[in-house]
Amino acid sequence: MKSLFATLTGAMLLLTLGAGPAAAARVTITGEVIDSWCYLTEIMYPLGSAHHQCAIWCATGGIPVGLLDDDGRVYIVLKIENDSNSVANPTVLDIQSHRVTVEGDTFERDGITYLTIDRVINDEGIVNLTADDYGIQPFGE
Amino acid sequence: MKKFLLVSFAAALLYAPHPSHAAQSWDLIGEEIVRFDAQVVDLLCELTGDCPENCGGGKRQLGLVDADGKLIPVFKNAVPFAGAVVELLDFCGKTVTADGLFSTNRGTTIFSLQFVREAPSGKWRKSNRFLREWAETNGVEVNSNAAKTWFRNDPRIKALIAKDGKLGLGPGVLPAE
Repeated sequence: MKSLFATLTGAMLLLTLGAGPAAAARVTITGEVIDSWCYLTEIMYPLGSAHHQCAIWCATGGIPVGLLDDDGRVYIVLKIENDSNSVANPTVLDIQSHRVTVEGDTFERDGITYLTIDRVINDEGIVNLTADDYGIQPFGE
Repeated sequence: MKKFLLVSFAAALLYAPHPSHAAQSWDLIGEEIVRFDAQVVDLLCELTGDCPENCGGGKRQLGLVDADGKLIPVFKNAVPFAGAVVELLDFCGKTVTADGLFSTNRGTTIFSLQFVREAPSGKWRKSNRFLREWAETNGVEVNSNAAKTWFRNDPRIKALIAKDGKLGLGPGVLPAE
């Protein structure tokens, strides 16, 4: 019975996985490089200089990095400048919390927008100066 | 108060006993405790068809495709400030039972993994392998304080904070008193 269940589950998953690659949309986006988990859970204040150290912790720990555009839309970054390493990527770590403009492709799937960045066109550095209001997140040091 | 909650949250991740292999609430906004079967996939491969061996060998974000074909990115494991790639990599391409939390906020649903096993009856693993791997890489005991506060001891992080400061505005720049 157990093996029948496993076979059926496997077959269902294989059938649903046959969907193939998603359609890409070419985009230019300006926004803040963010720690996606802290932003989407609001477990602490998640933006700008106040959250920079924590964003570095989380990105180094392998939590997906996001880009938050001016309309409040979150893009999950999966590639940057021909580097498909999206776990603790040094290039991404260097621009964490920065306001950047990027060119790339977006992929929509099941309520999440993913982003592959071809090029960082402009890097304004950290312009969201939140630390005077929110301190150093999350522990104050 | 918020600081107290965060410290409690981090402590709960590290020290909470888990007599059963069932996810615990983290009191997240829009939280739902879930358990489901799904296949472990490389997100970039799934979306673009660019598919290296072994889901990228730990260098790519991983996700789960459930029985309805829904792609679920996995954002978090059970270690403070760490993601779930290390927890799922061994199961690349396999069907697992994932136990954890969906949380829905700001119009987006994300998944945090607490336990995982190969379906249907593999041995449960708590999603804290990240810590073991980090300790091994950095030459410390997994139960040491250095490992438990890995985020304050990671050489990559220390180098970045030394270069840019905790606020990212330059070394030594701190919030106004």
